Amino acid sequence: MPASHGTTSPGALSAPGGAVATHCPYCALQCAQTLTRTAADAALPVEVSGRQFPTNRGGLCQKGWTSAEVLRAKDRITVPMIRTADGGFREAGWDEALDLVAGRIESLQAAHGRDAIAIFGGGGLTNEKAYALGKFARTVLRTPYIDYNGRFCMSSAAAASNRSLGMDRGLGFPLSDLGGADAVLVVGSNMGVTMPPFVQHLAGARERGGLVVVDPRETVTAKLTHEAKGIHLAPVPGTDLVVLLALAHVVLAEGLADADYLAQRTTGLDDVRRSVAGWWPERAEQVCGIPADELRRTARLLAAASPSRGGRGAYVLTGRGLEQMSQGTAGVTAAINLALLLGLIGREGSGFGPVTGQGNGQGGREHGQKSDQLPGYRMITDPAAREHVAGVWGVDPGSLPGPGVPAIRLLDSLGTADGPKALLVHGSNVVVSAPNADKVREALGRLDLLVVADLVPSETALLADVILPVTQWAEEEGTMTNLEGRIIRRRQAVEAPGNARSELWILNRLAARLGVDRGFPTDAATVFTELAAASAGGKADYSGVTYERLDRGEALYWPVRGEGHEGTPRVFLDAFPTPDGKARLIAVDHHAPDDDVRGDAPLYLITGRVLQHYQSGAQTRRVAELNAAQPEPFVEVHPLLADRLGLTEGGLANLTTARGEGLATVRITEATRPDTVFMPFHWAGQGSANRLTNDVTDPISGMPEFKVTAVAIAPARVTEGALA
Amino acid sequence: MRIVVIGHGMVGSRLVEDLIARDQDAYVTVLGREPHGPYNRVLLSSVVAGKSDPAMLAMSAVDSERARVLDGIHAVDVDRAARTVTDSRGDVHAYDRLVFATGSAARIPDILGIATDRGLVPGVSVLKDLADAEGILARLPKSRRAVVLGAGVLGLEVATGLAARGLTVTLVHHSDRVMERQLGDAAAQIATGSLSRLGVRVVTGSSVAQAIDRRGQLSAVRLTDGTEVLTDLLVMCAGTIPEATLARRAGLACERGIVVGSDLASPTDPAVFAIGDCAQPPEGGTGLVAQGWDQATRLVDAWTGASVPVARPAHDDPTSIVRVKASGLDVVTMGLSGKFEHGERELRAVRLADPSIGRFVEVVVSHGLLVGATVVGDKDCAAQLSAMYTRMIPVPADPAHLIIRPLAGAGPAAAASVEDMDDADTVCQCNTVTKGRICAAIADGCDSVEDVAKATRASTGCGDCRANVTRLIEAAAHDKVPALAG
Repeated sequence: MPASHGTTSPGALSAPGGAVATHCPYCALQCAQTLTRTAADAALPVEVSGRQFPTNRGGLCQKGWTSAEVLRAKDRITVPMIRTADGGFREAGWDEALDLVAGRIESLQAAHGRDAIAIFGGGGLTNEKAYALGKFARTVLRTPYIDYNGRFCMSSAAAASNRSLGMDRGLGFPLSDLGGADAVLVVGSNMGVTMPPFVQHLAGARERGGLVVVDPRETVTAKLTHEAKGIHLAPVPGTDLVVLLALAHVVLAEGLADADYLAQRTTGLDDVRRSVAGWWPERAEQVCGIPADELRRTARLLAAASPSRGGRGAYVLTGRGLEQMSQGTAGVTAAINLALLLGLIGREGSGFGPVTGQGNGQGGREHGQKSDQLPGYRMITDPAAREHVAGVWGVDPGSLPGPGVPAIRLLDSLGTADGPKALLVHGSNVVVSAPNADKVREALGRLDLLVVADLVPSETALLADVILPVTQWAEEEGTMTNLEGRIIRRRQAVEAPGNARSELWILNRLAARLGVDRGFPTDAATVFTELAAASAGGKADYSGVTYERLDRGEALYWPVRGEGHEGTPRVFLDAFPTPDGKARLIAVDHHAPDDDVRGDAPLYLITGRVLQHYQSGAQTRRVAELNAAQPEPFVEVHPLLADRLGLTEGGLANLTTARGEGLATVRITEATRPDTVFMPFHWAGQGSANRLTNDVTDPISGMPEFKVTAVAIAPARVTEGALA
Repeated sequence: MRIVVIGHGMVGSRLVEDLIARDQDAYVTVLGREPHGPYNRVLLSSVVAGKSDPAMLAMSAVDSERARVLDGIHAVDVDRAARTVTDSRGDVHAYDRLVFATGSAARIPDILGIATDRGLVPGVSVLKDLADAEGILARLPKSRRAVVLGAGVLGLEVATGLAARGLTVTLVHHSDRVMERQLGDAAAQIATGSLSRLGVRVVTGSSVAQAIDRRGQLSAVRLTDGTEVLTDLLVMCAGTIPEATLARRAGLACERGIVVGSDLASPTDPAVFAIGDCAQPPEGGTGLVAQGWDQATRLVDAWTGASVPVARPAHDDPTSIVRVKASGLDVVTMGLSGKFEHGERELRAVRLADPSIGRFVEVVVSHGLLVGATVVGDKDCAAQLSAMYTRMIPVPADPAHLIIRPLAGAGPAAAASVEDMDDADTVCQCNTVTKGRICAAIADGCDSVEDVAKATRASTGCGDCRANVTRLIEAAAHDKVPALAG
């Protein structure tokens, strides 16, 4: 239950009984938490409770409640580790570890050029760390090769939003706005499991029968539509785009579009009208498997909720189910088109937004971790942007490298003749979370130097030449930007164990060793001040944000253009940040998944999450209570499929795709289609879903096609315990 | 590579768009007979039914410097020796490859009195292009009755559409059952029942012998049995004829349509191809746009080296799904349906007939795959089977499961009420809290949702289980009352 605000002191380390107001370490909902210091002899240094905040309203899921356990994970890395000749690790001091890393970087760059070093960042890093990492790559290493795991998360949504709307700020409105709408369309997101407190904001739409969930599975979120609270559409995997095209078709064919809005605020209607003319509901039905009349009913429900037809408002939300496809950008574009046709975007009480996944998935994509971006959501190819940022950094704009390559191309190129020879990994466990994971493992094996900064010996850290121990959420100061585009404070409650250090400190020391002795402050507030200046005038303008304002409790949503500016809770109300101020309707079309079902792989494998685990599971698999609830990898199978293949509840199944094989425990459920099996991706080893997934990418966003691949499944002929 | 495409309809336009997008060396000229760009012919019946805005028909057309689009200009001559096409303006277009995508024409049956030397008598129409649809729409305000000739897919769509607009509709069909090419007796009977419920009078085993006009306007038709039916409209949906006139004149092998091999090329001339309704591939033309689009894709695949075109075996053709678009009449067939030959193959046909609610489902399975289905009056089942059929997804061990429940899970099993749950069942999903733990907390003195939350974290995630926690507290309080009283 939420602690009262009175016991909460912002900032500063507190004595036992003292409390610190911060936010959860995990997903982008960034539920507000109160951390209360425990007595010195307690097993855990803080006690976690939910705190009232407009997003989580005091709620936390099991991950959040148990998050303090990760602070004292039994195998927490507390000193730098260096690989030994026999393949093991030995403990080392910071000087030795950093000297080694800097020395290797220098010699590799001397031999192969500056591009020999690459950085792979993470969407869980604070804004300050993400910013410092980008700056380190561009000004110290001077390599173009930096990208991050947000590429696997928000890249399709970002690409589509930027292209259609001129800007990508996640939801673009306060989450609590959802409550007033008559309808909320959720395409490919399962917030009931991934960010449970979010569900409170769907109550209004559910009361009015207006929650529409598009998901091949009957997920926890899909079940929220039961009892006349809305509609669940379960398309064939990989065809959510077809659903959206057909909904747009019906809106136009039945005259349900907002003609005034379209005329005043958009361009491209004719193109989109022509492109969806080919997706009449009966044709869509044959591709997506949803009855034509159900598509019509859904379109009419959304239209009735829209302001132009007298409704209280409607929202279109997208998630990874739609986005993690080789047509992910097209999918989000189709969702935006639908929202534009209904006149929803840039209007209070209605809207469009992708639901960001990682804790700082939003801020992480704004400050220079992305291969083609500079702070403030600026493009690295834009001369004015280069000049501005170089000015803040005190370097020659010409010295900044150009754009690098997106994550999958970067990983593919590692250790190849022309590719980077060293990789620094921060906040990412790529050998579990990247698609076609065995190939990634191979790529890492080709490197001359792999440095991994992590809290725990993650599967990726265990492959490193040097592991650098870092601080985590309750041990550090900083800011995060949540799924609404609101900047929030992360505050320190405890000291990190042993010699673990913040990435800010590590980058400072590494920079000094590489000849740059200024520009990398170790204090988060100082870094933030510089970030704010660097972002000034950019799309993601943080220039008016200060720790003081945040600590006073101001709700600041970017852009915050200068100190007197109140921020922008709702974007696009007056105009779209495009050259003509209008949103662009962009025609898109559907294509089948790259790895579609075929005779020897006649089923669809889709992947996703369980409530108790986060991402690669590196953190949550170290929490006893979470492990007890979700102990092992599993595959969900429909009873008809199980019957045909002889799979039994609790037995082991062997899964084979074009990339590799896997093993998982069978769970029989009617919640999945008979042509589709589902596997969560939180585990490594034989039950690792991403050893099976496809690494083909979207041509625009670079997003891999995690969400659908052809698979064959059969009872496994192995003994129990094979997964252990 | 210079490519000339004759025909800028749904199939021709798709070919040109794909070709320009995927083959950087392609330079295309496309000739379209109709004055407007490509439009969605499949939706003409929906326009007549008032279900689709006519503005919605226009489809995307190519926009590229490498493509010349000549709408309103048709081809008049093909010189295969010179490899040129002459258009209606007299311009000559040279080609390396020529593609016919000329579509088909409506078949106009031999009916006395339907036409004068000025064309069809006002009130008599086919429904093949936009002008036909506009003509029918224009007559609707003064029409009370309609006769539709032909109970194929289009005839059913037009008949139900006009009936939904309030017209008195008679559907006349030569065969003894509707959609005889797709439906067997039982299915057709059930479909006929549905038509009657929608206000369409069905007359089978008959045809229109004569159109009767009054002052130049259609006023009635006489059927072959002599019956006279008063009507303001006669819409003839009596099938189509592949448009092969020009190809024939150019000396290309033509039978019903332009003969092509599995590579979609004419056996007469390897530089000439035909796709869509005008073509006659080895597996036969289905008259469905899906087949034409599939052919367009296959042709571009072949030309860009993406894949070698293979013939589609008629019975496994994933594009051969026939779907009637009509409110209140759900008829879908795919692959083997109606009265089909079992041939050499091992077939399992399982059927369900449920005439009183207008439902009929038959599935045909061979070697673990769905090779045919007929579905009347079951939308969910039809949608699931279509998706399965096109992807060749293996069927359940017992094909009856395809019929007796939709594939994507039946309706949700009624959730057990919290009182009926076992102690080991999870009440709070967000925090994995069992009913047993909540009850124990209540027994320990928690008497509010907040207290239970403090003790167990139940209800602190999405909050959806608050009501259940409250009920458990209330149930416990109720149990306690006697004890307190005692």
